[in-house]
Amino acid sequence: MNNILLLEDLPEIRSWLKVLIKQVFPDSQIHEAARVHDALELVSAVKFQLALCDLGLPDGSGVDVVAALRESQPECQSVVVTIHDDDDHLFPALQAGAFGYLLKEQARELIAEQLKRMSQGEPPLSPSIARRVISHFASQTRPQERPQNMPHVALTDRENEVLLRVAKGFTLPEIGVQLNLSRHTIADYVKQIYRKLNVSSRAEAALEAQRLGLFRR
Amino acid sequence: MLKRLALTAAAVLMWLAAGLPVAASAAEASSVLVIDKALSVNAVSGAPASFADAALPVSLPDDWAETRPRFQGSVWYRASFDRPPGTDARELMAIYIERACSNVEVYLNGQRLFSGGRMSEPVTRNCHYPQLVTLPGALLQDSGNLIEWQVQGHALQRVASRQRAGGMSVLKIGPHALLAPEHASRLFWNVTSVELVSLVLAALGCTMIGLGLLNRRETYFSYFGWLALTWGVLSARLWWRDMPWDTGVTEFLFCSAFAPLVALAVQFLLSYADLRSRWIENALAAQWVLMPATLLLLGPGRLFVAVGVWYPLFALEVAAATVLHLVVTWRRKRQDFWPMAVLLVGVIGIVLYEQGLQQGLIDAPRLPLMQLAVPLLFIGIAGRLLQVFARTLRAAEDGRETLEARVKQVTAEIEQNFAQLAELRVEQVTEKERKRIAGDLHDDLGAKLLTIVHTSESERISTLAREALEEMRLSVRGLTGKPMRLADALADWRAETVLRLGQANIEADWRSPADETEQLLPARGFVQTTRILREAVSNIIKHSGASHCKVRCTISDRQFGLTVQDNGKGIPMELDGKLDRGHGMSSMKHRAKQMQGQCLVESGPGYGTVIRLTLPL
Repeated sequence: MNNILLLEDLPEIRSWLKVLIKQVFPDSQIHEAARVHDALELVSAVKFQLALCDLGLPDGSGVDVVAALRESQPECQSVVVTIHDDDDHLFPALQAGAFGYLLKEQARELIAEQLKRMSQGEPPLSPSIARRVISHFASQTRPQERPQNMPHVALTDRENEVLLRVAKGFTLPEIGVQLNLSRHTIADYVKQIYRKLNVSSRAEAALEAQRLGLFRR
Repeated sequence: MLKRLALTAAAVLMWLAAGLPVAASAAEASSVLVIDKALSVNAVSGAPASFADAALPVSLPDDWAETRPRFQGSVWYRASFDRPPGTDARELMAIYIERACSNVEVYLNGQRLFSGGRMSEPVTRNCHYPQLVTLPGALLQDSGNLIEWQVQGHALQRVASRQRAGGMSVLKIGPHALLAPEHASRLFWNVTSVELVSLVLAALGCTMIGLGLLNRRETYFSYFGWLALTWGVLSARLWWRDMPWDTGVTEFLFCSAFAPLVALAVQFLLSYADLRSRWIENALAAQWVLMPATLLLLGPGRLFVAVGVWYPLFALEVAAATVLHLVVTWRRKRQDFWPMAVLLVGVIGIVLYEQGLQQGLIDAPRLPLMQLAVPLLFIGIAGRLLQVFARTLRAAEDGRETLEARVKQVTAEIEQNFAQLAELRVEQVTEKERKRIAGDLHDDLGAKLLTIVHTSESERISTLAREALEEMRLSVRGLTGKPMRLADALADWRAETVLRLGQANIEADWRSPADETEQLLPARGFVQTTRILREAVSNIIKHSGASHCKVRCTISDRQFGLTVQDNGKGIPMELDGKLDRGHGMSSMKHRAKQMQGQCLVESGPGYGTVIRLTLPL
């Protein structure tokens, strides 16, 4: 991990997170930003491997930074660091391309653990987020809502199976046991689900913009 | 109904008219002397004429139009008679003259006994009035009585109607007691009945005019009202004897009045059938001017000829309008056809009969048929109009009531809709306000608590702040949250509980009903239950030292149950109550009570702890 973006407006939290990141990734270079504007400038100048973004910022939402990173640096892993634990706030960030989320008030050890796991490709997935993902793809597969020119992003049966079990309240290790799959395989499924959510959300957004006449074909 | 009554009344009157004179004549015994022959002489001045030279024997009744055509002035008649057989000197005798047109004066044995009024212009118009002259006993001799009478009359050519042309009926001399009833009967039918009917018709006409003023859209009320009133006024020519102007003027005025009468009749018939024609209106108006003009142009001497052309024309016009009216009514308002057809055809029939009479084709009846029957038929029409009006009024009233009910219903609907809208608006505003409060809490309070969590040196304070933050988030979710599916809530709780127990190396055994339930849990209920469950799990992790935790859920129609059981060391008896605060048992119970549920804790040393939560759904 060479370059890490840290977007957070509260100085105390920012310094605390900085310490934490140094602890997990000792040889990384941390670029700090307190506002969306500054973060976007950094994104256009520096190539990042990891980005930690707060959502509620004085000049906008961290979702915009996540989206910009997804657009210009697809290899960068974006993680939302937020005080909002409800999916109304998290889901748009995941749609924009975030790879996971951290809740700020959790204990340092827990956050460090989750950050490490995410960087190793094991993103978290809660039942409520899983339900949102299911209903998102369900609406996409309805033919009357998906015009011809829209790329069809579909989940595989296995991905669906994992999502349904998460939605019912089973934890990822439990599902691994139930489906007789390794921890890494389950994590790959979850990553695929996040990726497909982002792709289909972007297609949906483009189509919506087209419908509103924002773009000319 | 009214129409039928009117028809019945008319029929009864006709029957009486036919019956009464017959009865009277049957009562006439041989004691009544009928004088049907007389000597007559035309007189130029008002002085008693000399019968010496030019006396002409005539038989009575004497119709001047036949015996002395175009004669205008006064004629003297003379006859002699003996006292009628079977009467004595003490009996009151009388002369009965059924018709002497226009006026008569009677002399007995050279003494003037009776005068019907003015004998010079304007001559008193007594054509329709029968006369009864009482004979003074002193003047009456047993035989050889000389009776002379002077009749002032008009040539047929100078009057509009045969009934007002000069003429003299037979004389009847007999006991007063026998002749008086006949006179009364004749007077009633000739004059009084016409007066009565005309009066009623005029009153009805005024009523109709009033109705017409109130209902300006139904113009036929006004037309009919004026028609009836005009007819009523015109009938004055029968009973108004002393007019302030000459006979020529009187006849001209009455004749001219028929033009507007016909115009009103035609307009009534058309408007009642919802027809209107400018052309016809203009023609009628022109006729109104043209008719008097022709009468003036031809002069009083050709009045009868002129009206002999005009009246049939009028009759034709009314007949044509009637046919038009009936045809339209047959097509559009079938239920109106028969009553109107009967009444109108009756009117037309009588008018045609009258025309035949005036042209001399039919003998004059003993009754003024047209003057009696037409008003009666008019009254019938008025009754029909009023009946239709009453029905329309009833229908309008019903319609108004229906409309009122409908308006009430619509108003109620609008009010209901408005109330729903207002409710919706309140909900929207509340929702917006909740979101604002939630946002403020996150941005302000949340940020500060977070700073405390991560900057506090004391582990205790940072833990407290973290818990406060958690509480705040749950409260905010309670504020903004929508009802949640119970199945989703169970999934969330399961994931969190299993994860936390797993991190603490406690084996979790969670079982909930496999079948998906569609029951909903209010946001507040979800938040409170989450807190209770979180507290219970925290207790197990922190205090119980258990290695195994069993969670069971039960869902029924009205109730939701959650049981959390561990195999830890339980809550020591002697510390019960003191430890309670640390374990948060009382807050769990309090939260359950807030949701009208209950939270029971069973524990014993070595037996672990069981927490049973039941909530109503």
